[in-house]
Amino acid sequence: MIQVENVTKLYGGHVAVDRLRFSVAKGEILGFLGPNGAGKTTTMNIITGYISATEGAVKVAGYDVLEEPLEVKKRIGYMPETPPLYGQMTVREYLDFVSDIKHVAPPEKEKGMEKIMDLVKIGDVQNRLIKNLSKGYRQRVGLAQALVGNPPVLVLDEPTIGLDPRQIMEIRALIKDLGREHTIILSSHILPEVSVVCERVVIINKGQIVAGDTPENLSRRLAGKSRVLIRIAGTEEQVRQVLAGAPGVKNLAAQGSVEPETVDFLVEAENEEDIRRPLFFAVSRAGLPVLLLKPVDLTLEEIFLQIITEEKEVS
Amino acid sequence: MTAIWKREIRAYFLSPVGYIFMGFFLLLSGFFFAVTNLLPANPNYTGVLGDITFVFLFLVPILTMRLLSEEVGEKTDQLLLTSPLRVFDIVLGKYLAAVTVFLLTLLITCIYPFILSFFGSVAVWEITGGYIGLFLLGSAFIAVGLFVSSLTGNQLIAAVITFSALLLMWIIDWIIQGVPTDKVSGLVFAGIIVAGLALLVYYSIRNLYISIAVAVGGAAVITIVHLLNPSLYSGFIVRFLEWFSLLQRYQEFHMGVLSLSPVIYYLSFSFAFLFLTTRVIEKRRWS
Repeated sequence: MIQVENVTKLYGGHVAVDRLRFSVAKGEILGFLGPNGAGKTTTMNIITGYISATEGAVKVAGYDVLEEPLEVKKRIGYMPETPPLYGQMTVREYLDFVSDIKHVAPPEKEKGMEKIMDLVKIGDVQNRLIKNLSKGYRQRVGLAQALVGNPPVLVLDEPTIGLDPRQIMEIRALIKDLGREHTIILSSHILPEVSVVCERVVIINKGQIVAGDTPENLSRRLAGKSRVLIRIAGTEEQVRQVLAGAPGVKNLAAQGSVEPETVDFLVEAENEEDIRRPLFFAVSRAGLPVLLLKPVDLTLEEIFLQIITEEKEVS
Repeated sequence: MTAIWKREIRAYFLSPVGYIFMGFFLLLSGFFFAVTNLLPANPNYTGVLGDITFVFLFLVPILTMRLLSEEVGEKTDQLLLTSPLRVFDIVLGKYLAAVTVFLLTLLITCIYPFILSFFGSVAVWEITGGYIGLFLLGSAFIAVGLFVSSLTGNQLIAAVITFSALLLMWIIDWIIQGVPTDKVSGLVFAGIIVAGLALLVYYSIRNLYISIAVAVGGAAVITIVHLLNPSLYSGFIVRFLEWFSLLQRYQEFHMGVLSLSPVIYYLSFSFAFLFLTTRVIEKRRWS
């Protein structure tokens, strides 16, 4: 459905996107992962025809973005990083305007708007001015705007940014739902988000693809580092001894003391096994109370470090 | 395009901009009308129309400054440019919205000659011609303002530059009186234009060879024209600047003469700036 072929974008001398190449199949949800400034937004802007690539081509449903921009734009709903909202309009007026510029035929317009407002749950604010809406609502109006006209392709740039946890869950569920009928590219800098929603993940850094795989394979590759944060009442010396004696522990890092008379430790497992049980038994055998025990997700920076070092080892 | 037009008209009257424009326009034109016609009991209304052109200088920037600058500033241009609309349609929709607000205001001022007609005979055709001219002149100014608005994301800067550009066009007739008309300066000026053109080409496509080709081609044209008809260069600067003298054309309408050439001049002037605006927007997405 979407083919990105060797796309390069230069800003003056700075390379924002460097020979990027991937494709998205029809009905697929692709996660686009990368730290800030990796070139995610630039790539999305190129796919949607907002800016043009310095080199390379993008095809959507077989149409070239540069040669037949209108055919491409008809098929894409784009939610940019900053939702493009007119503060002086009410939500309904805004969606009406978007329906008009997307050439939605009048008989379907009302019905389509109702459906979308229902879907992203903004029906209760439909007559309020957009400038008075909270960040969460604005974000959802931005998503609603992308859905107008029911385009087969959705490009969503950080759709859950600025939302509260409950809204994030709702939006993720919605995107997953939309994925049944739409081809979706979704950018994010949060790994769990992408792995929950997407069928395939492309990780980019400094404008280049560093990894591309299913979330499962990706996490398997990265699984060597399963880590747990543990808080135990006791002295650091005592706790260190106990933890070091537990089976399957590879690395220990003291994190200082948050609660009085306790210590926090970051425990890294030798392999991908869950070490929470052995840890618990080891500590309880020593007669020390466990106050907190939770797995720590890999941060994106660590994933990058790991992937980049992996690549160096290969080459 | 209709959708853009509708939204812009609404935006004018949902924000203070539309009211400020209309209010000041009517206030000032009313003032001119009172001072010129009412108080001295003078039926010559075309003089007021001439004065109104002066009001444009200050009010057109207010009307046009937000048209494109605001979209860029608020990032809503992303919505427009990724929707299935041609850039020219977007530009035209915005232009027509500003022209509509302007036309509405102008129509309200038709009350003044109507009032005059109660007290004596008014020169109907001269006034009609004057209004048509005023409308075309204002539309051309709006096109310039729209163009400037596409250059910056800052509304204030857009307003100031538009004002300066309009002021320059306003006083261009004075400038013309001061420029040299001899052949040499005409040649030098043609050279400067070609050099400027080549530079412009270089900055827009960053290709040295094509830019040099433009420069060489331009120089060749200058030379050939010089060989064939050197007299073309005397007064060249004047003729070049006159092209931008919007007010000079207005004089004809003012006198009640309705000929086709100034109409076409204004329309093509507006169109040229709409085209340039489209290019600027497309160019920004290219670089």
